[in-house]
Amino acid sequence: MNRPLILLIGALALGAAIFAGSFFASRHVTAMCCVKPSDDLAWLQTEFHLGDAAMTRVRQLHEGYLPKCGELCAKIAEKKGELNLILGNSTNVTAEAQVKLNEIAALRTECQSNMLQHFITVSQAMPPEEGKRYLAEMKKITLGDHEQIEQTMSNDTGHEHHH
Amino acid sequence: MNEKKNLPDDAALTALLRPARVSPDLPPGFQQNVWRRIEDSEAAVPTTSWLDAMAALILRPRFAAAAAAVLLLAGILAGTANGRQLARHEAEMNYVASVAPAFAR
Repeated sequence: MNRPLILLIGALALGAAIFAGSFFASRHVTAMCCVKPSDDLAWLQTEFHLGDAAMTRVRQLHEGYLPKCGELCAKIAEKKGELNLILGNSTNVTAEAQVKLNEIAALRTECQSNMLQHFITVSQAMPPEEGKRYLAEMKKITLGDHEQIEQTMSNDTGHEHHH
Repeated sequence: MNEKKNLPDDAALTALLRPARVSPDLPPGFQQNVWRRIEDSEAAVPTTSWLDAMAALILRPRFAAAAAAVLLLAGILAGTANGRQLARHEAEMNYVASVAPAFAR
């Protein structure tokens, strides 16, 4: 290989290393500085430009919602444990297992319904435009994922549809 | 003054010396050789390729320093923008995890 080519390759490698080094270092520093893991609601305030009054209201709603959500999650976990016990030695879905599946589905529906209601209530505590944006974002995350999964499953003809 | 005074003597001296000057015969093909060497030297002027030009550019300290500074700055700017997005996404997921644990990614 001739000298100019080696020089050019070396210079490109050095340039790439400088760019990559500064990119990853500054990304890490920025990511570390901007995240406040102690406050789950910090994102809401900055993203949706909430004032102190709106933030106080949102915080109240959030704190009121969490125990209900936790209670439902505990019930779902309990029912899942029961379902596992029923399915433990069985080779097919028994009537008893079906009942547990229905109970879990009902609890999940209730949980999702409560969650959507919470999103709507929170969005109403925000300035109208920000509220709309918040609701759209939350719907995209909580409902969009399901749509995406269902779409993937329905397109995947080679596999069984399983939740 | 001295030059003017010496002029007649110099001319006489030159006239006297002229026949004594030895003018050696040129080797055969001297003129052709001279022309050939001129042509060869013209043909031998290297035509610099883009690779050579780039290498020469890279070796210039000012260019190298400027390029390094630009890359460093671009990396910092891109990294900061990406880090902000990352932090925003992480904060969003923290919130979603607190209200809808099943949907947090």
